[in-house]
Amino acid sequence: MAAGTTILDAARAMGIAIPTLCHYRGMSPYGACRVCLVEIDTPRGPRLVASCSHPVEEATTVRTATPAVLASRRTVLQLLLAQAPDSQELREFARELGVEGTPLEAKPEGKCILCGLCVRVCNDLMKRGAINMFGRGAARQVRPAFGEQTDQCQTCGACVAVCPTGAIDLAKITARRPRQHLTSYDQYLRPRPSIDLAHPQAAPRVPAIDRDNCVHFKTGQCGLCEKVCQAGAIDYDQQAKTVDLDVGAVVLTPGFQAFDATRRMEFGYKLLPNVVTNVQFERLLSASGPTAGHIRRPSDDKAPKRLAFIQCVGSRDPKLGRPYCSSVCCMAATKEAIMAKDHEPDTDVTIFYMDLRAFGKDFERYYNRAKQLGVKYVRCRPSAVQEVRPANTLSIAYLDEDNRSHQSEFDMVVLSLGLSPSATLQEQAQRLDVMLNDWGFACTDELHPMDTSRPGVFVGGAFQEPKDIPDTVMQASAAAARAMSLLVKARGTAIRTKTYPPQRDVTDEPPRIGVFICHCGSNIASVVDVEEVVRRTRQLPHVALAEHNVYTCADDTQDIIKDRIGQCRLNRVIVASCTPRTHEAIFRDTLRDAGLNPYLLEMANIRDQCSWVHSTRPQAATDKAADLVAMAVGRAAQLIPLSEQTSPVNKAAMVIGGGIAGMTAALAMADQGFPVHLVERAAELGGIAPQVYRTLDGMNVPAFVAQTVDRVLKHPKIKQYLQSTVTKVDGHVGDFTSAIATNDGKLEVKHGVVVVATGAVELKPTSFGYGQSDRVMTQLELSSKIGRGEMKLPQNATVVMVQCVEQRTDERPYCSRVCCTTAVRNALLIKQQCPDARVVVLYRDMRTYGFRELAYQQARQGGVLFVRFDADAPPTFELDSGGVIDMTVRDSILQQDLAMKPDLLVLAAPIVGQEDRQAISSLLRVPINADGFFLEAHVKLRPVDFASEGLFLCGTAHAPKFISESISQANAVAARAASILSREVMPVSAQIACVDPEKCVSCMTCVHVCPYLAPIVGEENKAQIQPTVCMGCGSCTSECPAKAITLRHYVDTQILGAIERLLGEIDESTKAPAPAKLAAPSEGASLEQVGIAKPRWTKG
Amino acid sequence: MDQEPVILALCCHYCAYAAADMAGSMRLQYPSSVRILRFPCTGKIEVNYVLSAFERGIDGVMVAGCLEGGCHYLEGNLRARRRMERAKQLLDEIGIGSGRLEMFNLSSAEGPRFAEIATQMHNRIVKLGLSPLRRARSEVLSGVAVMAQASAAAIAGETK
Amino acid sequence: MIVADRKKIPEIRDMVCRHKRVLLVGCGTCVTVCLAGGEREVGILGSAVRMSLKLAGHTGVQLDECTIERQCEDAFIDVLAPRVKDYDAICSLGCGAGVQTLAERFPSTPVYPGLNTQFIGILESQGVWTEKCLGCGNCRLGEFAGVCPITRCAKRLLNGPCGGSRQGKCEVDADRECAWQRIYDRCVALGTLEQLDAIAAPQDWSTGIDGGPRKVVREDQCIVGLGPKA
Repeated sequence: MAAGTTILDAARAMGIAIPTLCHYRGMSPYGACRVCLVEIDTPRGPRLVASCSHPVEEATTVRTATPAVLASRRTVLQLLLAQAPDSQELREFARELGVEGTPLEAKPEGKCILCGLCVRVCNDLMKRGAINMFGRGAARQVRPAFGEQTDQCQTCGACVAVCPTGAIDLAKITARRPRQHLTSYDQYLRPRPSIDLAHPQAAPRVPAIDRDNCVHFKTGQCGLCEKVCQAGAIDYDQQAKTVDLDVGAVVLTPGFQAFDATRRMEFGYKLLPNVVTNVQFERLLSASGPTAGHIRRPSDDKAPKRLAFIQCVGSRDPKLGRPYCSSVCCMAATKEAIMAKDHEPDTDVTIFYMDLRAFGKDFERYYNRAKQLGVKYVRCRPSAVQEVRPANTLSIAYLDEDNRSHQSEFDMVVLSLGLSPSATLQEQAQRLDVMLNDWGFACTDELHPMDTSRPGVFVGGAFQEPKDIPDTVMQASAAAARAMSLLVKARGTAIRTKTYPPQRDVTDEPPRIGVFICHCGSNIASVVDVEEVVRRTRQLPHVALAEHNVYTCADDTQDIIKDRIGQCRLNRVIVASCTPRTHEAIFRDTLRDAGLNPYLLEMANIRDQCSWVHSTRPQAATDKAADLVAMAVGRAAQLIPLSEQTSPVNKAAMVIGGGIAGMTAALAMADQGFPVHLVERAAELGGIAPQVYRTLDGMNVPAFVAQTVDRVLKHPKIKQYLQSTVTKVDGHVGDFTSAIATNDGKLEVKHGVVVVATGAVELKPTSFGYGQSDRVMTQLELSSKIGRGEMKLPQNATVVMVQCVEQRTDERPYCSRVCCTTAVRNALLIKQQCPDARVVVLYRDMRTYGFRELAYQQARQGGVLFVRFDADAPPTFELDSGGVIDMTVRDSILQQDLAMKPDLLVLAAPIVGQEDRQAISSLLRVPINADGFFLEAHVKLRPVDFASEGLFLCGTAHAPKFISESISQANAVAARAASILSREVMPVSAQIACVDPEKCVSCMTCVHVCPYLAPIVGEENKAQIQPTVCMGCGSCTSECPAKAITLRHYVDTQILGAIERLLGEIDESTKAPAPAKLAAPSEGASLEQVGIAKPRWTKG
Repeated sequence: MDQEPVILALCCHYCAYAAADMAGSMRLQYPSSVRILRFPCTGKIEVNYVLSAFERGIDGVMVAGCLEGGCHYLEGNLRARRRMERAKQLLDEIGIGSGRLEMFNLSSAEGPRFAEIATQMHNRIVKLGLSPLRRARSEVLSGVAVMAQASAAAIAGETK
Repeated sequence: MIVADRKKIPEIRDMVCRHKRVLLVGCGTCVTVCLAGGEREVGILGSAVRMSLKLAGHTGVQLDECTIERQCEDAFIDVLAPRVKDYDAICSLGCGAGVQTLAERFPSTPVYPGLNTQFIGILESQGVWTEKCLGCGNCRLGEFAGVCPITRCAKRLLNGPCGGSRQGKCEVDADRECAWQRIYDRCVALGTLEQLDAIAAPQDWSTGIDGGPRKVVREDQCIVGLGPKA
């Protein structure tokens, strides 16, 4: 201990808790409350001193809990209770120390115990002197000079924060108006400290100081955080640094920011307390949010019963200069509505929308589910939100679709904000020489969705166009692939590898466990009696060493651990500290540095799951911590070293499908230097794309496809197999062997990954006279006709387009995503080629998301008529013998029937999965969803991976999508595949299942149970786990009836070892013998001796 | 109940254990009776482990995994749920009662829910009382001490 | 494969509770494959029965566990022998044949069944087993396109379905397939529908269990002077 250390500080450092009221870490001791009394030995006998101010001396004996100490402390508390009878905080504190009340006559009112902490903070730390102690004796009190509010007070709130009894009322002190420090962390819903994370998921998880609101940065005073932080992590002198990097490619992913809702003042954001943004609402829904996941309205913290969402706030709003659609808000509101209903089923949720854009994979089903749950969708854009006092409810006036006006009241209104491009890049874009569009998003074209205007600079995510998570993930991976194609030569040149000493062989050593118990500063030690845990741990079997450290993860402590491993010949190490989720990797590395196998580490979480959650019950927390350490000891004694194997990687890829997605993926991988086998069932490459004449932005698709085919055919790394099918795929990630049936017979290829890009087709409709009249065709057929210049229309022709044909129905409850935009594009092309033609689009919801919305606006301005119909009143169709088509449709806005005689009827037919999808599915053992599309590993976070490692998908085989999105997803596949193909070997986790063939009875249970298909029937018809496929979940081991399978690092003895150490061994009387192999009867003993009858017969 | 129950929480690494960590960082207080044992996935939690714990006198066992449909290992939690249903049936037949075992699903972001289910389980076990198969904690500890002496002797001998 | 399932814990407990030391013996063959009597189940039931005994006040009963390769084979039973003398009773998690073989080999030790042996069947899907063969001793699957109406038709009809065949399901239990539908479908697939025109003769049940316990003898395999008389 350093000279001058107080008894209190010394005790805390040793993990001994001493209660105190007036002591505040970082502040000089004052000795005012006398609660921290301890007994020390002096030459004149024992004496009570205030531990917060009394320094430790050489060989002093300090007793913290003698009867004299406890009695004095009780008396002190009784006195304090009489002084401040109204303080809830003080009463609770007293109760914890066993003092229920005071026998003295309590003051009539009062919360202040005159400990002086606030005065010291204000004067010593903040140097303001806004408050002081005035008066003497019973009249002594804390107040500003003259008892008047003073502008000496800087409203920093430090006095409120340090007051142990909740006695400070800032309003009585300051002449200024205190305001809460609201930050982005909780979306400005609740006050937060000025040292904070930007948001809960911030990475790295390092808090930063808000310099604009920090007293130290504003006045140079305070500095408390620097004194309090035991890790010494506070550095006030950090400056922004400019770092020069030498790079070969740049990827822009600055993201988006939400529209500033105050620009639509009529909705009342920041004026009316119960109007919140959808970002704030997400925070209210979050279990870790300011309301712990309970939806509460800001005005009164009550659960809202009636909730309204207003869509398109700052989207589809040309007047604000924001004509585009933000793509994500319809589904976000739908999700938030469902979650609100999950929280409080009787919540009434209304969503005011214009078109419900549920265009993505499974979105339509989700939307239907919301409707089933009772979420009300009202097609109307309200003009304003008004507050109704006194209950702060909100009134919205709107017209329903029958033109009836309504006035509804809601308890809370959520504004679905539009997406704006990141502000940070708006200025830098010019310096980067990257072109932005009219609204500040990066300019790209439909066929090169990741390429900005500057070669080598790529873009991913919402900075290119508003998009949701899966589309963002795809495009970001795709941008990585584009960047990597430029970095082929540099790959792997900047890698540094760490070297470790050889691992000590501990197999024959009995367990010698070293246990390191962490104080985590005061995080653990202030609650858990760390020394007691050390004492109890030393009692446990196999424990060779147990000690405690202030910060076990600190570099010097890790050096101590390494030394101890050597000195004490430890062969198992337990760190009892925080969570293995963050620290296991660190300590495993420590073991490796000390020459021990990293799997010989075990952790006990006595902070997150003990001291932090039982902070009011030190004894119970100590008992639990001792138990958790004991369990770790039980498990550690059984740990065995494991080695991580590797498996060689074949650097080739096999792509199934030669459409635009397959070719793009093939090229993107080949450009990175990986050989590609491209298998196409048709006689030529290209797929369906050439039938699409132009993209919405006018790019020539057939020319692009031809160009791509040409590049594929000429690429030295790509080998094509036309009119071929894959008939067999064996092996696992990094090492597949496949059979391809070609016209010239069968051949075998070896590769490391598989890409499924088999595409989809447009369904041939059976309704609206399709196939009966040459006036009826699908949108794709029309595109193709326009492209070939074969579209012929009579003068003043009428063209009718029907959307959602045979889709968004009970039979096919999904949306094909592209049809609305295709209709708009074709309508515009018709208008361009035949300006006198009348084009009518019959639709249910126009799903022209993102910048496609502009084309929709352009079409309307260009005279294309859009007529909405209800799903339950579809257009009628009649084809007379003369080939004339008669149609009527109920216009849902005019509430009148419109009659039409189209010269051309164009149907938006659904996109459906390929016929051979089932064959591909069983070939690769990959799932297909209910709508007939392949199912990825995770619909949000892993949109191009299959659940099985090394298998990927892209294009319309995944879901209906635009060419730009297929290209993006295909590039994403290339990036994901490169993460495997760029390795020489794949690491194989050590924590995998393995089979004891002697015990296996070939029952196939593991084969049936494993979701990854890792077990196979191997040699001698015994089960075998493919190590590269096994993910280590242990499901097979839990069900193997012969207990032939074990999951390494989680074997029975380790798990039961922990349970046993918690609960002790089973009574001897019922102790189960290990089901070990039984020995044959010893040779000498006759059968009779062992109580067995002779067999019915024996030979010889 | 004068003695605190002991409840074993068998948690999956990815969701339940993470949620428990989050409850910690949010400083949510819940009963100290819960002792967490970490598994890679609830798919690894065998019926034997649950029964062994009861045989050794545990008062309650809670199994906690990812949300259904959200398992890090795809369906480990679904299989675990079925196994735990079987274990509950066995506990009823044994006479311990299925109420002492419960499986919960929660996401890694649901710290408050972890505190909630821990409290719920604690309250349920308090209501059910200590396990009839329980031995006094002191007995267990003295047993450990005996073993420790043997082990210490072994370690000492080995060091020489 | 022989399919079995476990008895309820109280039933096993009540059988073994009179003894001081009981050995629970699993079998590593059919009953392991049908997840009823392998090492895992032995562990689970052992634990369960021990707790059940304790709770019922039978605190003095010691129940130990082991699993052998095959309970119907002498050589594997011999492995058990040295331990059995330490026990007052055996509880077998084998099929009926296993229980009886153990009983025969251990004349002075009571042997109890821990399983209910069900039938000869297959794993239909994970966790579901169905009966496929009755062991009638007179197999006529050739006549019925490989689907046994004697086992799988609830009424054991040999000449076409009854009137209760509903959409391929049996009227006795709508979850059960109509065997005759399956026979018909398979004949259609094999193109042998005319085979069903023939009238199937009544089953000769003399080879069945009703004639008393059966025996199969292979003279060429018999070893002269050894074993029971053929």
